[in-house]
Amino acid sequence: MSSTLEVEVRAAVAAVDDPEYPGVSIVDLGLLESLGVSGGRVEVGLIPTFSGCPALAMIADEVRETVGAVDGVAEVEVTWLPGPVWSVERVSARARERLASDFTVAVAVHLGPPPACPLCGGRTSELSAFGPSRCRSVHRCTSCGEVVEALRG
Amino acid sequence: MARRWASMDDFEAFLDEGGIVESDDHMPEPYREAVFRFIELHANSELMGGLTERDWIPRAPGLRHKMAVLAKTQDEIGHGHLLYMVAADLGLKTRQEMLEDLFAGNSRFHNVFHYRAKTWGDQVAIAFLVDAAALASQQAVFKNCSYGPYKRILRRIIAEEGFHMRFGEERMLRIAEGTDTQRTMFQASIDDWWWPSLQLFGPDSKPGDLLLRWHIKSELNEVLRDRWVQKFVPLLHGYGFSIPDEGLHHDGTADRWVIGPIDWEPLKRTLRQGGPDSARRIAEAAANWADTRWVRDALDQVGERRGAA
Repeated sequence: MSSTLEVEVRAAVAAVDDPEYPGVSIVDLGLLESLGVSGGRVEVGLIPTFSGCPALAMIADEVRETVGAVDGVAEVEVTWLPGPVWSVERVSARARERLASDFTVAVAVHLGPPPACPLCGGRTSELSAFGPSRCRSVHRCTSCGEVVEALRG
Repeated sequence: MARRWASMDDFEAFLDEGGIVESDDHMPEPYREAVFRFIELHANSELMGGLTERDWIPRAPGLRHKMAVLAKTQDEIGHGHLLYMVAADLGLKTRQEMLEDLFAGNSRFHNVFHYRAKTWGDQVAIAFLVDAAALASQQAVFKNCSYGPYKRILRRIIAEEGFHMRFGEERMLRIAEGTDTQRTMFQASIDDWWWPSLQLFGPDSKPGDLLLRWHIKSELNEVLRDRWVQKFVPLLHGYGFSIPDEGLHHDGTADRWVIGPIDWEPLKRTLRQGGPDSARRIAEAAANWADTRWVRDALDQVGERRGAA
């Protein structure tokens, strides 16, 4: 049974969006690994999509700020955990929908089949293992021709 | 399904109603050319910007900044990559041809990348002033862009540039609250970069501007430029920096900042690859392309082997 405070803290963490995908929560992307609430002290354990991600400090600052603003929270500690390793299986259905509809970004399973095109559902083929970020590859839809990025890991 | 329009009037009516053109549509050739030139300029600018950014990876002060510069480099090159593909899909030039034109100095890229970033202060000024100007232009294009493949890529580029902006602000704050030496360095950077940043928006839009008429752009250059001025003049003044414009004054009745006359000569020179750093930048970009050929060849071979398997 979670306490009311824990529910509120969880909601506060979920209110933090990925800086590169406004509107997509870091919780829906699967970055939240552990949450400890005891008394007024909160410990948030996060995992990065990849360890060299430049957004880590920014995300941690925002989590500290939003959770710190919750009534009854006195202290927040945010830690980037060395494990488990993030993978796309952690991305929620809601985030997948948002990534597809708002950003034309697909989600690709490591060594799995190429992801479907977010626009037409067609098959994509990978053009480049790296896109504008280490956690994304670049594909083209073989059906509608759209240039698609895929979140991968 | 590919669509076709009986006349330019029909096509323009379609655009005026908010219609979105897709790459396989039978669009009028002048529209195809205008969209192509616009995206090619953007792609070239991302590539040239990414290469500038790369120069600062080893020189960035501290690990956190290094990571940010590294990621920004990857972002810009990645954006260029996506944009070149979308541009090539228009069928006027292949990606290879676009790159060859760029390296031969026959192709345009944004004026700001014709200047040299000499100090970390310049790099911060670019991240703060230039990125904001570029983001404002991109947002204005995205808002009402009639070309679908470009609009969808802009959506992601804008989200990522917004992230760069936050880094720019953070770096600017750090330097503004720094030592006298840091502040003096940053003032020199503002002096050098204020006008090029402001000129990124281009001269006042002409009444018959086809980019506006065809909803590729949605706001006048002068409107975007003025919005940027209204934001950055008070911001820089607030941190105690001055702006290198003797004509700059505050109009009390309208409560607006009014800038002095703009000398467009420097912008025109960059359009002819005659900016202060144009030749070196283009030569470096070409050399970089040649130096990394083996990486592309290796990747192609892997791709062929995979394809054959």
